[in-house]
Amino acid sequence: MLGNLNIRVIFEYFPALWQGFLNTLMMSGLGFAGAMILGIIACALTIQPLRWLRAPAVAYVDVIRATPLLAQLYFLYFGLPRLGILLPEILIGIVALALNSGAYVAEIIRSGILAVPRGQFEASMSSGLTYLQRMRFIILPQAIRPTVSPLIGQAIVLVKDSSLLSLISVVELARVGQQIALDRFMPVEGLAATAAGFLIIYYMLKALAALWSRFNRLPGQA
Amino acid sequence: MFWFQVERLLNYWPLLLKGLGMTVSLSLISLLIGGVIGLLFGIIRAGRIRWLSFVVGLYIDLFRGTPFLVQVFICFFILPSVGIELSAFSAGVLALSNLSACFIGEIVASGIKAVPRGQSEAALSSGFRHWQQLRLIILPQALRIVRPSLVGQFILLVKDSSVISAIGIMDLTRSGWMIVQNIPNGLLIFGVVGVGYFIICYPMIFLARRMERRNQSSLL
Amino acid sequence: MIRFQGLNKWFGNALHVLKDIDLDVAKGEVVVVCGPSGSGKSTLIRCVNGLEPFQKGSLTVDGVDLGAKGVALRDLRMEVGFVFQQFNLYPHKTALENVTLAPIHVRGLSKTEAVERGEALLAKVGLADRMNNYPSQLSGGQQQRVAIARSLCMQPKIMLFDEPTSALDPEMITEVLDVMVSLAKEGMTMMVVTHEMGFARKVAHRVVFMDQGAIVESGEPASFFGNPTHDRTRDFLSKVLHH
Ligand SMILES: Nc1ncnc2c1ncn2[C@@H]1O[C@H](COP(=O)(O)OP(=O)(O)OP(=O)(O)O)[C@@H](O)[C@H]1O
Ligand SMILES: [Mg+2]
Repeated sequence: MLGNLNIRVIFEYFPALWQGFLNTLMMSGLGFAGAMILGIIACALTIQPLRWLRAPAVAYVDVIRATPLLAQLYFLYFGLPRLGILLPEILIGIVALALNSGAYVAEIIRSGILAVPRGQFEASMSSGLTYLQRMRFIILPQAIRPTVSPLIGQAIVLVKDSSLLSLISVVELARVGQQIALDRFMPVEGLAATAAGFLIIYYMLKALAALWSRFNRLPGQA
Repeated sequence: MFWFQVERLLNYWPLLLKGLGMTVSLSLISLLIGGVIGLLFGIIRAGRIRWLSFVVGLYIDLFRGTPFLVQVFICFFILPSVGIELSAFSAGVLALSNLSACFIGEIVASGIKAVPRGQSEAALSSGFRHWQQLRLIILPQALRIVRPSLVGQFILLVKDSSVISAIGIMDLTRSGWMIVQNIPNGLLIFGVVGVGYFIICYPMIFLARRMERRNQSSLL
Repeated sequence: MIRFQGLNKWFGNALHVLKDIDLDVAKGEVVVVCGPSGSGKSTLIRCVNGLEPFQKGSLTVDGVDLGAKGVALRDLRMEVGFVFQQFNLYPHKTALENVTLAPIHVRGLSKTEAVERGEALLAKVGLADRMNNYPSQLSGGQQQRVAIARSLCMQPKIMLFDEPTSALDPEMITEVLDVMVSLAKEGMTMMVVTHEMGFARKVAHRVVFMDQGAIVESGEPASFFGNPTHDRTRDFLSKVLHH
């Protein structure tokens, strides 16, 4: 099967593949940035005491986590025009990715904050620092450290998920692969090229996570 | 207008229910098959046969690193070209089982590694054979440790199964997609579809959280 | 029963943990090993049932040469019981199941036979009423007694103990030591790493003092405690005895 791989086709389509690769990167990047913003806001709302602010944030996180991205994507794609909101597909896609990952980001950050030992809050309170100082110097540095690896993990998920945008005809890596498959009846070449593109991103992000955990270990941690 | 659409949607009720049934059966079958293979993968990954562990690790990585959609297409479009004809349903089950085997493999391996060293030393000292040690002492503890992750994995499986709709399987997402062609109200239709998924997944999210809390308190 | 001859062990290339160990333990003998933390006591005793490999010298246990290639470690381990500092009970099994698991699956005893034997042993260590409890429902001292019963249920020829009481609260130490004392009096061959000098005085035939991976001094309890020859031994004893 691999022996018959038609490398020529891949070369011929290389510009399209490259464009798809860049689009995937761009959409994932924007989607992840949006997810971070949404996630931080949602997390902040879920850990603050006002009930009427907390409830919608918790509902957002739970609903997103309990439904598939594809259904969320179709919800926006077929639903937004109903509300008179006409957006290009690519923007709908990015919004869907951000909304979806935002819920997971919120959970990751929340568990980071919850993992800070209680004693740290108490110690920082009795040291006479103001609320913001306590957050900035004591709580957040400890809370952020354990979230980095899971956040990179979420970025990996998001990049792979962005392939679903091909189903609402956004041109990205998976879509280009499908085009090669369908135009030229060469599914192996098309899908292999697509898979390779995603694997490159995957291994880069994985290496990033490994680097981070290697250089950011506290002294004495295994 | 809205109520009219709701009324029309009621006609599609059987289609939606069927879709829900398909989603559940796809996920359950894949969980079963993927669970068995994943257990094997996990044992190999945590095991001492270096090259085998490496090969399985590489295999798992390939599937963890590529989008599920691409994997589904590979099962559906490429396998026939090498002479393996699959129905859309079998292709879907194959892709989903394989994916869950890969994820469960990593989960099981992490569970095995989380069992304290003293356990296998105690087992060794009593003269258990390697596989006895695994079966009687290590695996039961490892599986207990990873139970919340396994439930989490099943949630992922249910959600990932929606991707299989791309090759025409009539699951919950696909039935929503069909209906929306006739009733042009995406908010309503995919709202209802979302409720379907929510009913399956939310109780499990809840369960996983509770297990996790119990695990943590039992470790203290 | 156990014979170390010029045994040497390294961790990696740099860490020389055991240096020229010569030691004989006869059948029915009780040998207590003591020494400061990091002196290599655990490593020494773990060599005896093959949990740690060694690089130089020889070690023969119950007629089995542990240095030989392809040695049947499993057969040896069936004859050698090991009690850990951290108990290492199987948390998903009850006390009785912990005790009977190996006899059933390793020795091939029938379940009824194993249960009979296990119940008798648990009763002997004073846990007749705790057989169906899980380890998490037992105190440290009770867990360690289950662990001892678990080893005994294989009817071993040799029992090894690695600091069996040092993870225990003071009030539980005696209940475990009592079990070990009665075991010693029954004539079991025992090698015990411990700082419980009372135990050593009472039942040990020989006390061995280790420091920095070497055996510094060894002798009968009376002379060992009465007039130790080495400064380091004296130093060590003054620390353990006066606390
Ligand atoms: N698996 C290992 N790898 C590398 N070094 C080890 C290992 N196990 C033990 N060591 C080192 O070997 C030396 C001897 O350790 P050992 O556990 O035998 O000492 P010990 O006398 O039992 O001490 P303690 O009273 O603290 O139990 C120590 O310096 C220890 O750090
Ligand atoms: Mg030790």
